Amino acid sequence: MHGYELKRAYDQRLPQVRPLAFGQVYATLGRLLRDGLVASTGPERLTGPDRTAYSLTKDGRVTLERWLGTVEPPMPYVNSALFAKVVVALLVVDVEQARAYLIAQRQAHTDRLRELTALKTAPSATVDEVVAADYAIAHLDADLRWLRTTLERVADWHREVRA
Amino acid sequence: MSPGTLARLAMAGNRTDAARVTLTALSAALATLAGLAALTVLAIEKPPGDAWQHSEQYVNGLLREPGLRGGTAFALVLLTIPVLALAGQSARLGAPARDRRLAALRLAGATPGQVTRIAMLETGLASLAGALTGLAAYLVGRNLLHRPDANGQLALPTDVLPWMPAMAAVVLGLPLVAAVATSVMLRRVTTTPLGVFRRAGRTGSPRPWPGLLIGLGVLAAAMVEPIQWALKGARVDWLGIVILIGIFAAVMGVILGTGWISYLAGRVLHRHAPSPAALLAARRLTDDPWASSRTFAALLAAVIIGAGATAFRASFLLMAQIEREESRAAGYGDDAGPLNSFYLTTMDLVDLAVAVALTIAAAGLLVTLVEGIVSRRRGYAVLVANGVPRATIGASILWQVLAPVVPAVLVALGVGYTIGRLFSGGTGRDGRTPGVPVEQLALLGAGAVVAVLITVGLGVLFLRGNTAVEELRAT
Amino acid sequence: MTKLEARGLVKSYGPTPALRDVTLDIDEGEIVAVTGPSGCGKSTLLHCLAGILRPDAGEVSWRGHRIDTWSEAARSRLRRTEFGVLFQFGQLVAELTAAENVALPLLLAGTGRRAARAAACDWLERLGVAEYADVRPGEMSGGQQQRCATARALVTEPRVLFADEPTGALDTVTGEQVLTQLVRLARQQRTAVVLITHEPRIAAYADREIVLRDGAIDHTGLGLDAPLSGGAR
Repeated sequence: MHGYELKRAYDQRLPQVRPLAFGQVYATLGRLLRDGLVASTGPERLTGPDRTAYSLTKDGRVTLERWLGTVEPPMPYVNSALFAKVVVALLVVDVEQARAYLIAQRQAHTDRLRELTALKTAPSATVDEVVAADYAIAHLDADLRWLRTTLERVADWHREVRA
Repeated sequence: MSPGTLARLAMAGNRTDAARVTLTALSAALATLAGLAALTVLAIEKPPGDAWQHSEQYVNGLLREPGLRGGTAFALVLLTIPVLALAGQSARLGAPARDRRLAALRLAGATPGQVTRIAMLETGLASLAGALTGLAAYLVGRNLLHRPDANGQLALPTDVLPWMPAMAAVVLGLPLVAAVATSVMLRRVTTTPLGVFRRAGRTGSPRPWPGLLIGLGVLAAAMVEPIQWALKGARVDWLGIVILIGIFAAVMGVILGTGWISYLAGRVLHRHAPSPAALLAARRLTDDPWASSRTFAALLAAVIIGAGATAFRASFLLMAQIEREESRAAGYGDDAGPLNSFYLTTMDLVDLAVAVALTIAAAGLLVTLVEGIVSRRRGYAVLVANGVPRATIGASILWQVLAPVVPAVLVALGVGYTIGRLFSGGTGRDGRTPGVPVEQLALLGAGAVVAVLITVGLGVLFLRGNTAVEELRAT
Repeated sequence: MTKLEARGLVKSYGPTPALRDVTLDIDEGEIVAVTGPSGCGKSTLLHCLAGILRPDAGEVSWRGHRIDTWSEAARSRLRRTEFGVLFQFGQLVAELTAAENVALPLLLAGTGRRAARAAACDWLERLGVAEYADVRPGEMSGGQQQRCATARALVTEPRVLFADEPTGALDTVTGEQVLTQLVRLARQQRTAVVLITHEPRIAAYADREIVLRDGAIDHTGLGLDAPLSGGAR
């Protein structure tokens, strides 16, 4: 498979994911080639400079299957800019600023949620798009619930942080 | 489960449950009174003499003549039918709340048998309380009413007491029958921990087989005269049993046949339903045709008896007329014999009993109607929210009641009159036959239908309160 | 053009205030979510807007006519023709088949039996439950019942559909399917929808969100600076 085809498949199958630059595709392929996980299946340099086709090696297949078989650690650390920002706001400034940030963030989340829902419910939506939107919607929904409960608790929290 | 726990759980409940228990007890008390009265009449000892020797200590001929006492007792027992039907109908009062409570008990770990026992105990205890009240009222009443008049005659048989075991059987048997009836009624109601599934296993539509029962009853009635003729007037005790079975078969036939009638009425109405109200009613009728049988049982029984009574009255009137004509022909003036005025007075008493029975039946009908409305209140509230006028819902209830009851009352009138006519002896002495008392039959039928209409009117008054927006709240 | 307007709605149940001065507008074909915590007055607001309840104070207007002063009969007629109502559960008549349930509003409006049945079957088809036309609600799943109820609410092609937690009794996937169909059909015939829910992801199906808190509008989903009435869309 060519690098260009890989990029196309990525864009098609993983919509709503952070966009991938061409350079990144080739850098990654280079690293995989170095580690022996992929091999070039012959240079087809007939039409252009970068029409090298790659395929998985045996090692590569094993590594892929090991990756697929590994369970992702379910949220080992709370790692969110959202969360950090509220804590910092409470530590450095005051309740009102933290609240204002939470409200603004809630608005942004709600808007994005609506956008994704519209995308997903459009009659032309493909299953790819629906599944990807569902993933994002579930996370936004969780964030929104957190934002809502935190808004209720922000005063108590501030007292505790400042104590 | 200890008896104490059982009793505590059986008596738990809210105001509606209290109303149900009270009504059950009241019906039991009335039924006990009627039963004891019947026993008392039967307990009157025949004075020595021939088979027709009167008991001279009583004012009323119904008590004096040995031949009439059996019928009097039977009429008293018949009066318990509407009373027991009222008890059955009040058993459904507040039933959804009770079903929820029983389901909660199941959820807490009670077995199905325990739940049934709790329900049985509730009915049984209430009936026992009622029966004991009835017994007390009977005993107090017979002392208070024991007042011989100037001739030393008694208005009521307060001088005899029924056989003790028989009294005990009535007072203890009635609660037992009520409890067993409850378990039978709960037979199809599987109380699961998650709620109640009724109507399990009810399959197929009603068939007109109950018509055979009616035929049996009419046949029994038709055979009485030929048999008596064949036996040349000799008194046969088993003939009375045959008559009783015949009447019972016919009454049950009409009541069970109402299931088929309402199913048929529902089908016809569904095909030609002129309005959404009729459509709703039609579906409800075909959905549970036996509901009509249960609801109108007492009413129809009363109509059958009443129609039979009109036949007897017509026959007595004819006899009185013939007697008058004969006495005029013999030159004795225009007086009707005292015998006939006695019979006609008796018929007035029977008519009064029928009217009382109709009233009790209408009360039972009201209980059923209101219960039906209350248990459907959420559905009705949603319909009203969707813009269905309350009048449409009221009309659907009216359709649902009238569509089966009008034909059923007509059948009951026909059956009752036919049987009464056959029993009363078809012809007068000179071969004349009494005319069909169309006017009285119409009056009786109209009376029954009007009673139904009034109850529907009263029931629909409950619609407004039960379609309130509060019923719409999601949680 | 603004179609449904509420001005200063106040409603109390005894001493408990359910609505305190609520003002909002709903445009033609607009889908508005009303959200907020339990007991904030969402359902009461819907009942007032739909003319099921009369507010204690304030007014509700439909196409410029005040409807809160109308008689019960007139409001019933309005609900039957211009409005549709959808609840969480238990709204179908148990004794009627799915098709008869859907046909009911048409029959009430005087449509003939045959035409009403045809329209009902058509709507059941659109909601994907055509094969249940002659089945009673008791024999259908919750999702199928709710689709059937949606068909009944939309069969008269109402101008406003009031939906009170329409997916509240359904699982997530079924709820989303029902809601997706509802929103799609509502947009097709430009029916406005007032959607009551406490779930953000359900509210996201709407064009706009109104958040109630303690019987008053807390904020609208138009950004913080938008006017509270939300009418300036």
